[in-house]
Amino acid sequence: MNIDIKKVAKLSRLKISEQDIPKFERDMQSIVDMVDKLPDVSDLTLSLDRNDPMVLREDVIGASVKRTDMLKNAPQVEAGCFVVPKVVEE
Amino acid sequence: MNLYELTATELSKKLASKDCSAVEATKSVFDRIEEVEGKVEAYLAVTKEEALNKAKEVDEKRAKGEALSPIAGVPIGIKDNICTKGVLTTCASKMLYSFVPPYNATVIDKLCSQDMVMTGKLNMDEFAMGSSCENSYFKKTKNPHNLSCVPGGSSGGSAAAVAAGEVFLSLGSDTGGSIRMPASYCGIVGLKPTYGSVSRYGLVAFASSLDQIGPFGRCVEDVAMLYSAICGRDENDATSVICKYPRFTANCTDIRGLRIGLPKEYFGEGVDAEVKKAVTAAVSELEKAGAVVKQISLPSTDNALSAYYIISSAEASSNLARFDGVKYGYRTESFDGLIDMYEKTRSEGFGDEVKRRIMLGTFVLSSGYYDAYYKKAKLFQKRISLEFEEAFKGCDIIITPTAPDTAFKLGEKVSDPVKMYASDICTVTVNIAGLPAISVPCGKDSKGLPVGMQIIGAKFTEQKLFDVASFYEALTGGPQKVVHVPV
Repeated sequence: MNIDIKKVAKLSRLKISEQDIPKFERDMQSIVDMVDKLPDVSDLTLSLDRNDPMVLREDVIGASVKRTDMLKNAPQVEAGCFVVPKVVEE
Repeated sequence: MNLYELTATELSKKLASKDCSAVEATKSVFDRIEEVEGKVEAYLAVTKEEALNKAKEVDEKRAKGEALSPIAGVPIGIKDNICTKGVLTTCASKMLYSFVPPYNATVIDKLCSQDMVMTGKLNMDEFAMGSSCENSYFKKTKNPHNLSCVPGGSSGGSAAAVAAGEVFLSLGSDTGGSIRMPASYCGIVGLKPTYGSVSRYGLVAFASSLDQIGPFGRCVEDVAMLYSAICGRDENDATSVICKYPRFTANCTDIRGLRIGLPKEYFGEGVDAEVKKAVTAAVSELEKAGAVVKQISLPSTDNALSAYYIISSAEASSNLARFDGVKYGYRTESFDGLIDMYEKTRSEGFGDEVKRRIMLGTFVLSSGYYDAYYKKAKLFQKRISLEFEEAFKGCDIIITPTAPDTAFKLGEKVSDPVKMYASDICTVTVNIAGLPAISVPCGKDSKGLPVGMQIIGAKFTEQKLFDVASFYEALTGGPQKVVHVPV
């Protein structure tokens, strides 16, 4: 299987510079060649584990983190909000 | 003898009997850090002041006669992908260079409520992706046994710090071998617990269905003590299992009748001859002590690495989508619109290995390839689990080498990702099947580097692993000594 680095990088929200493309192409191709070796497993089907039901916690009000504490890690904050570039065009 | 040279359980007993204080033990550890950290470089952050304050508090509690946990006052180091409130948690990535968590991981809350003295945060491969600790954005940790060799990864800092006496115990995380493999390379004990037995809440997610936090120590009893302190159901992690956990021990004196399975696939091509020899010799010792050894086969092992890299990278690509430069961590300086900000932030914030895994994960999940890769890998995961289940009908434990080799030289494998991935060949199957496994030292190779033996059990049989591992440890001279680091 061949891998289209430019397309996959775009889907991954990564920018790979032109000069780095050959290196990534080579590395990714050898990784894809490795994972390609997986043999056929069509004799099995996937099912949920009946012995492992996920238990959800009760929906009760508990302690939470303060907004000011949460925002301390944000790269840019204004008026108690995360600041991002304009998303909607006029 | 210096206090830092004691095992954690020896220290715990001395603290309980007031033969020494937590402040003295903590100072001893920081003196050792001062002495060797410049060579080993295991820590990303040292929290000396907080540690000494906490140690003083523990001593005061003890003086008042309060009932304390066995780990109270024992200095412990934490891998830097486990959230510690108010203390930088970087995952060894530029992406999280400034991240100070506003909350504690559940394991940290548990340890704090048991009066842990935290010494600091330990180096790792960026986002736990790697097998040598060389993918850290900040520094390269060295193997205390030979400073020109890697400590293994991804929890390389956690393993090297314990081996070098820079801390008594540490926590790491294991997605494909990231606790066991560095434990093997650094000649200490490391446990990858049963999936779901330790809460992952507050562990920065890499591959959520495989990740598990676990302990490192210089002896099996230390590892059992720390595991007892962190395991258990947590409402904040829906995958944590409701189960009764005992207080684990490590003082087994009789293994007669124990059935050991040796899977031939783990002793074949690609595994170093000296490693095979050391592990086989260890198994012979157990056999002489009354264990019954039988050859078994786990035929899917050879393709497990492919399944592992598909599943783990697929999960990583979606888990790491959250790093977008908006809510926390790194943001690029100049950009033109939202998408450009995302792309630049991620390209500048992540290292090459993280990028490769995100792209592999995105590729195997992308339209047209999902069935050929991800679905197939999930089916293969089931096959591997079934093979283990079948094997455990005929044996109590399975023994293999932990890693196919001993510690390699810094830089030796960095330019070849696939070669680096092959370091995980003996460990990934355990994560894929959600099993517990422990790595214990079993001698050294001709270069003087430690070899690790991996003991694998069925789900929730950690006690059995501690029994066999502690029995073997006692046969071979007891706990590991702190490594002499040339300074």
